[in-house]
Amino acid sequence: MTVGRLLSLKVSVFLSSVPVSVHKQTGRILHVRNGVLYCTMKSSQSQTATQEKQQPPKVKVPQHALKKTVDKITRDYEAIIGIETHVQLSTLTKAFCSCPYNYGSQPNTSICPICMGLPGALPVLNSKVIEFAVKLGLALNCKLSLNSKFDRKQYFYPDLPKGYQISQFDIPIATGGYVDLDLPLEFGGGHRKFGITRVHMEEDAGKLLHSGNGAQVDLNRAGVPLLEIVSEPDMRTGIEAAEYAAELQRVVRYLGISNGNMQEGSLRCDVNVSIRPIGQSEFGTKVEIKNLNSFSSINRAIDFEISRQALLLSEGQGDQIVQETRLWEEGAQKTITMRKKEGLSDYRYFPEPDLPEVILTQEYVDSILKSLPELPEMKRRRYENMGLSMQDVLFLANDMNVAEYFDETLSSGADLKLAANWIMGDIAAYMKNEKLSINEIKLTPKELAELIASIKGGTISGKIGKEILFELLAKGGTVKGLIEEKDLVQIVDPVEIGKIIDKVISENPKQLEQYRGGKTKLQGFFAGQVMKLSKGKANPGLLNKILLEKLNAKN
Amino acid sequence: MAMGSSRALLILSNFKFKTTASSSSSSKPFFPFKTNLGTRNFSTKIRSSLQPPDLPRLAETARISLAPNEVEEFAPKIRQVIDWFGQLQAVDLDNVEPALRADTEGDNLREDVPETFENTEALIASDTLWNLGEPSSNTGMEGSFLLTYEISNIGKGGFDGMSPS
Repeated sequence: MTVGRLLSLKVSVFLSSVPVSVHKQTGRILHVRNGVLYCTMKSSQSQTATQEKQQPPKVKVPQHALKKTVDKITRDYEAIIGIETHVQLSTLTKAFCSCPYNYGSQPNTSICPICMGLPGALPVLNSKVIEFAVKLGLALNCKLSLNSKFDRKQYFYPDLPKGYQISQFDIPIATGGYVDLDLPLEFGGGHRKFGITRVHMEEDAGKLLHSGNGAQVDLNRAGVPLLEIVSEPDMRTGIEAAEYAAELQRVVRYLGISNGNMQEGSLRCDVNVSIRPIGQSEFGTKVEIKNLNSFSSINRAIDFEISRQALLLSEGQGDQIVQETRLWEEGAQKTITMRKKEGLSDYRYFPEPDLPEVILTQEYVDSILKSLPELPEMKRRRYENMGLSMQDVLFLANDMNVAEYFDETLSSGADLKLAANWIMGDIAAYMKNEKLSINEIKLTPKELAELIASIKGGTISGKIGKEILFELLAKGGTVKGLIEEKDLVQIVDPVEIGKIIDKVISENPKQLEQYRGGKTKLQGFFAGQVMKLSKGKANPGLLNKILLEKLNAKN
Repeated sequence: MAMGSSRALLILSNFKFKTTASSSSSSKPFFPFKTNLGTRNFSTKIRSSLQPPDLPRLAETARISLAPNEVEEFAPKIRQVIDWFGQLQAVDLDNVEPALRADTEGDNLREDVPETFENTEALIASDTLWNLGEPSSNTGMEGSFLLTYEISNIGKGGFDGMSPS
């Protein structure tokens, strides 16, 4: 039921921005169902009655009503979603030649006869590619093939200089793994486990820029190593798919094998969506969606596609769902057909004769296994076991650098919950405002721990703590140093506080009279004045206790 | 065919059957064209039961234009090549582990150290690349980009005109 609600949330988002597309595709549905839309509050029996009586008026349909109809339809179907992800590896050189790769270089400046596929050039595999592939295979809990090979995937396209792509067809380097993740709380939370069918090594094609009467080709990217990750069709909703992609990004960043940036193209996802009526065992027709540039696009595109297919099926127009590739249009927020495929492409795979077998020894694999860092899932479980809430866990484990910062703060002796709160609250807000990463702020984990301890120990008040935080973030320095320099030590001596209170009371006789006359709210006024006089150093708890005593004393 | 079969025997005698330490469950002997056969249970007939390819479609996917008379001429020759490979079916492979490749040594690896190729101008000069005959008006260079044909001209026959990546 939660999933259904989630689906409807997502559906309403796209519907409120694109009522037109639903009109175009299923104008008939609106026509017929206007009766339903008119009386969404009533029970189903009365709906049919009103349907017959009412003329469908030509008014714009209220969005919430539209959402309910689509929501009702999609609830009868189950979506089967699989994702193919290409991860561009951050090796220094390309897969099969020593050309460097730098995103954004001038076109055709990082090329050589090998990656251009000129006659006579032979590929030589970059050892780092194997290392990264093994790291990823292990991180995704796969079985590694100690012996694997490369194959040629043959097709013609201007961005493919050799006329074939060196890839792995029937013996990929890793198979049969899975990924664990936790859904964000705002989408209902929950743990999920999605299967990974395979991981294999291959090379990237060049870049094609379409111009007036043809296209421009930049081969800088041709030959860059990729790892292709194929998931099992285990996802059921757009949000599950988006989280799967986000987890892959987390994993490749934790491993340091890729910067996993969807906008830059170092993480690319193609999604396959099909739906079937709940209870049916046969899969529906699979539709591929390309051109997804962010996690939220993945989410929205899938939800749109599910709705599109569900509407067609519910109308008896299931034959209109064909196996094809559709493009996600970010502007229009819908998928559009590219070109119907004329049957499946025949890539005429055969083993790459120019490359030897890829042989891994168990020792090699074991040494890489030992060198793996703590992966996101392990970190999340560790944080959870330490007693942090799921919300804290998801935030802190999301970015490896934040997690490291947090861990270091803890190892400097900071209180768990307080450290989490500071990092997730004021520090995160500062980073967002100044557009800095946690590695760029001047406050060190050690000093954060010191700050927390100073407040907890009563040396400075919480309020003062927040004030010096800003300076520490921007300029660095030590907590102890700042406290001394600005004389920030909290006043906890009751006698001294008493003196300040006496002064304030004596300077404000009118307010004292009003207070004693019944305006007890003025306690706040006095407290404020004491704080002002003490430059914020008076301990609030003691202040209020003594203030109350003195204010009520002569009663 | 006598020549062909003796050559086949020569190759068979030189062929090293590798026993691999880990048997990959998905490895099968590779056939370049679709066959109706399973992985191991071949008949002992010499005459191959491998299907010859659909020649016009094969030529289309390889972007080789064949006139009808050429198709007629080449079909039996290609059939012969396939039958030649088909003779390998006579070999009893029941006790042999499948090999991934006919390799002697593995592991020809390179360190991840960048080396800039110096003469990139020569690489992208028109005549190096587009020596398919006359470089036409819409191939060549534009600034530092390479120019190519209209994409719609390319996606024909077994290929949908889209880069899979």
